[in-house]
Amino acid sequence: MDLGLFIAASGMVAEQTRQDQLSNDLANASTPGYKPDATPQRSFGEMLLRNSTNGQAIGTMSTGVALGKTYTDMAPAGMQSTNEPLDFGIVGAGFFAVQTPQGTRYTRDGQFTTSAQGQLVTAAGQNVLSQSGAPIKVEADGTVPASALGVFNVPGAVKQGENLFAGNATTGAAPGTLGTVREGVLEESGVNPTTAMVEMVGSLRTFQSGQQAIQAIDQTLQAAATQVGSMNGSS
Amino acid sequence: MLEGMYAAAAGMTAQQQQIDAIGNDLANADTTGYKAERVGFRDLLYNQINQAGTTSTAGAGAAAETIGANQTQGSIQRTGDPLDLAIEGPGYFTVKRSDGSTALTRDGAFEVDAQGKLTTSEGDLVQPPITLPKGVSPSEVAIGPDGTVKDGAGRTLGKISLVEVASPDHLLGAGGSLLTTSAASGAPRPVANAKIQQGALEGSNVDSATEMVKMISTQRSYQLESSAIQTENQMLQIANQLRS
Repeated sequence: MDLGLFIAASGMVAEQTRQDQLSNDLANASTPGYKPDATPQRSFGEMLLRNSTNGQAIGTMSTGVALGKTYTDMAPAGMQSTNEPLDFGIVGAGFFAVQTPQGTRYTRDGQFTTSAQGQLVTAAGQNVLSQSGAPIKVEADGTVPASALGVFNVPGAVKQGENLFAGNATTGAAPGTLGTVREGVLEESGVNPTTAMVEMVGSLRTFQSGQQAIQAIDQTLQAAATQVGSMNGSS
Repeated sequence: MLEGMYAAAAGMTAQQQQIDAIGNDLANADTTGYKAERVGFRDLLYNQINQAGTTSTAGAGAAAETIGANQTQGSIQRTGDPLDLAIEGPGYFTVKRSDGSTALTRDGAFEVDAQGKLTTSEGDLVQPPITLPKGVSPSEVAIGPDGTVKDGAGRTLGKISLVEVASPDHLLGAGGSLLTTSAASGAPRPVANAKIQQGALEGSNVDSATEMVKMISTQRSYQLESSAIQTENQMLQIANQLRS
């Protein structure tokens, strides 16, 4: 009976995590180049059930919900035209490279500006790198040609926050698989608010079902504790 | 659970910054030489949720800040006033304020004061100083595309020089259409490829249609995040009522 409580609780905890991720996705519905997260849920592991009289195995029962590894949905989102000379978007796969104090990081967010030294930097002041890994100089009229920015292939990129991804770029990607850079556009957030809202409702109701299961088991336990074996049959 | 609520709250604060920028832009839709604000959104750091050996992550929401100004040229409007100047291309006029410090501006609606000196509409002196001698009225003044100021007889009275900075996004607003330089913007230096047009003013580069669309989208995002907070609240309520 206790097992039932823990199985229901594992379901509720899994929905809690999903709810937190959905909240984060909705909060980032305007962040350019943002990619939504999802955590798959899997069955925790099966337990063998035996016939209590003769010990014969009768089947298995799953013991709850476990969370899998979070994966980021890297599908490219649509482009939003801003007509801002230092806004760039990659049409297709690939990342911009930026130089941070912790090393080279990658981003899909192309909202760049100029540093006091006349180089192309992110809003946080990190240098954007060309294909050869060098900083990019901004022209005298305040623009940068789209071909000056490097596009890198980073399989297995991991989100780090501050619009950055950590990972290692691979060289020798097949030509035509990496996207091209366009200026004056920004990639929209990959969050679909409708899907997120529907998932949120589903998650809430699953959470509620877990609560109902726990309450039902609780009542059964209460009856077992108070009524079974009582002499006059009343609680 | 509470991480989700704080993430949604952070998102709402970010949308609030966006609305503030939109409000400022719309209020300045007719201000001479005004440049629309560029607001940047970013996501925040991710927290690890360790459960039975697998690592899942949840983020902490979003943040927004103004990262600069949209530097596209505003439309040039002819006014016919000989002391109205518009800059075509990058660059700023230099003015000296009453407290002695210098500032930059794109607002070229100049006037002459009682001593004949060229000033802005707020009374800040144009640098390098240009004085109209007694007897020369503003309607006789001719200002060329390179900034040379000549009177009706062709005598040169001075030159209005344009300056630019390495990073215009990091200029600080000082009110009254004035901008001051900072360490992040770089020091002013002469500009090569800009022209001055006499008798015209540069309009604001705010596109009202775009700002209205942004406002609608911001409002909807704000509503969605509010729904996220309400759902989290309901889940907490369910958890609290587990044993009642």
